[in-house]
Amino acid sequence: MPLLDVRDLTIGFTSADHRVPVVSNLNFSIEESEIFGLVGESGCGKSITALSILGILPQNAYAQGTIIFKDTNLIELDPESMRKIRGNEISMIFQEPMTSLNPVLTVGYQIAEVLMTHRGMKKKAAMDRAVDLLGAVQMPSPEIRLKEYPHQLSGGMRQRVMIAMAVACSPSLVIADEPTTALDVTIQAQILELLHSLRQERNVSILLITHDLGIIAENTSRVAIMYAGRFMEMAVTEAIFSNTKHPYTKGLLESLPIEKGVPLNPIPGFVPRADELPSGCRFSDRCSYVIDRCRVMEPEFIEVSSGHFSRCIRTEEIAWKS
Amino acid sequence: MEVLKAISLRKYFKTRKKSRGSDGLVRAVDGIDFSLHEDSIFALVGESGCGKSTVARLVLKLLKPTSGSIQFKGHDTIEFDKRALKRFRKSVQIIFQDPFASLNPRRTVYNTIAEPLKIHNLATRSGMKDAVSEILGKVGLRPDILNRYPHEFSGGQRQRICIARALAVSPEVIVADEPLSALDVSIQGQIINLLTDLKNETHIAFLFISHDLKVVHYFSDTVGVMYLGKIVEYAKTEDLFEKPLHPYTVVLMESAPNVEPERYGKMHSAPLKGEVPSPLEIPLGCPFHPRCSKKFDPCDRIVPELQASQGRLVSCHLWNPY
Repeated sequence: MPLLDVRDLTIGFTSADHRVPVVSNLNFSIEESEIFGLVGESGCGKSITALSILGILPQNAYAQGTIIFKDTNLIELDPESMRKIRGNEISMIFQEPMTSLNPVLTVGYQIAEVLMTHRGMKKKAAMDRAVDLLGAVQMPSPEIRLKEYPHQLSGGMRQRVMIAMAVACSPSLVIADEPTTALDVTIQAQILELLHSLRQERNVSILLITHDLGIIAENTSRVAIMYAGRFMEMAVTEAIFSNTKHPYTKGLLESLPIEKGVPLNPIPGFVPRADELPSGCRFSDRCSYVIDRCRVMEPEFIEVSSGHFSRCIRTEEIAWKS
Repeated sequence: MEVLKAISLRKYFKTRKKSRGSDGLVRAVDGIDFSLHEDSIFALVGESGCGKSTVARLVLKLLKPTSGSIQFKGHDTIEFDKRALKRFRKSVQIIFQDPFASLNPRRTVYNTIAEPLKIHNLATRSGMKDAVSEILGKVGLRPDILNRYPHEFSGGQRQRICIARALAVSPEVIVADEPLSALDVSIQGQIINLLTDLKNETHIAFLFISHDLKVVHYFSDTVGVMYLGKIVEYAKTEDLFEKPLHPYTVVLMESAPNVEPERYGKMHSAPLKGEVPSPLEIPLGCPFHPRCSKKFDPCDRIVPELQASQGRLVSCHLWNPY
């Protein structure tokens, strides 16, 4: 049985007189000790999906469907029970470690607070444990860093603190939302290596959200490609790159510079707003394979081969290899 | 023809406090030389804090160098009087990283682009609207947006407006400081194509500042790799990517995530330990030696010079025995 099983998840915002869905009918599952990738451009709904799993959607947002985590439907859970899961069994690493740490508390206290809240530890014991955790995330001189404030640390070190907080209670699932976007490449490689070692040593599953296809290729086992609130393609990572089945994925790959002198073939136009989606397929207005039928009805998310899903009526007829 | 040349360029910033082992000077740019030729693209690559944006500001005369000089077509820009400076401003333009911060939110697109035309007397009052429309056409925007404000546009469209503003005065040099890093993948591809087309049509020389090696490989003719205020390797782009010599260049290339098939699911092991040292306390000897896996006897005592080796310049004792 998967660790996390999401069925028909729809998330939207309510305004005075109507509802605007921003994520529609997501279906995916994350296995134990798996790194599942979620890719998409800004505004496609990746972050709001993460927030809905943790039950921390904004006030004016709603979520429908089921999110089954270890036999519990998180969507129906009362706030108090959800609090016990959040930061304990499911935790989150945010993108910007400067704005997601409290600037007026020492990093040691912020890690210890997690343990005091969820494990009922006394402050002294929790601070001792925080030193171990900082050591586990390879923070240099953890005893000294424990007493420092976020502004005294570099971006890479702050992200290590975020990771120490996230794994403090040995969660089963960590959601990492663009965990390395604010970091330099050499530090990014260190943080990704750290996530891998945590997965192996602690048997954690990771939902890795990113816009960087290179990170996806190197680090995930399965991946879903998201566009305008829909999954467009989902498969094991290798198949996404070597056996692409959706024009959007193909467009993303062709937007990357590969060889000098070969002009890029990027997707034209820009991502539509959630309330101005084209009729039919949501990618139809930017797709280079569009036919009339695409604008009439939205395609189903079809399993084209075992475990490989694509939302395109022309999946079977297009010769994908360029 | 050489349009721009930096000679032993240095910029030190004073900090208020002096600490033990430091003279309180931040050596942001510490003696760099490069030249930029007509119709060519010189890229500066490096991680945050290496001084690449300070170089951009020095080139544009937005900062005064501590020592060294910048020559524009053989004339020292330090000595420019008011008239020469105005001509220089027309010839050298900049595109910034964040198109959300670099457009005045209270000005329409028309006002933003017409201003440089008015300042430099490049269009008559009656011809202004046509002139602005023509420039917008060059960057792929329609003239019907003239009366709109920046908040009405997406990031990619704003970056196009910034490029149009730079192009308005028909410059000879464009300094592009991370022009892609705030944009989504598909939009990055569009902007790379736009910049490539502009370069081919106008023969503008670009100083292209980036941390993204894939883009640098694709776009530039010559590359300078910066580390802690110095250029550590300076080579033709093909040579550098064919065979990087400096150990820092090597780890930068290995750290960058990649969608090449041989890297799928590759278990990450970070090629580089530790973080960039503070520019307040630059290590003795080679500034890279504390992180370098190839260090040997002289590296912690003797600063390597940037010297010719294998058709390029490199500062490393491995290649230039002292």
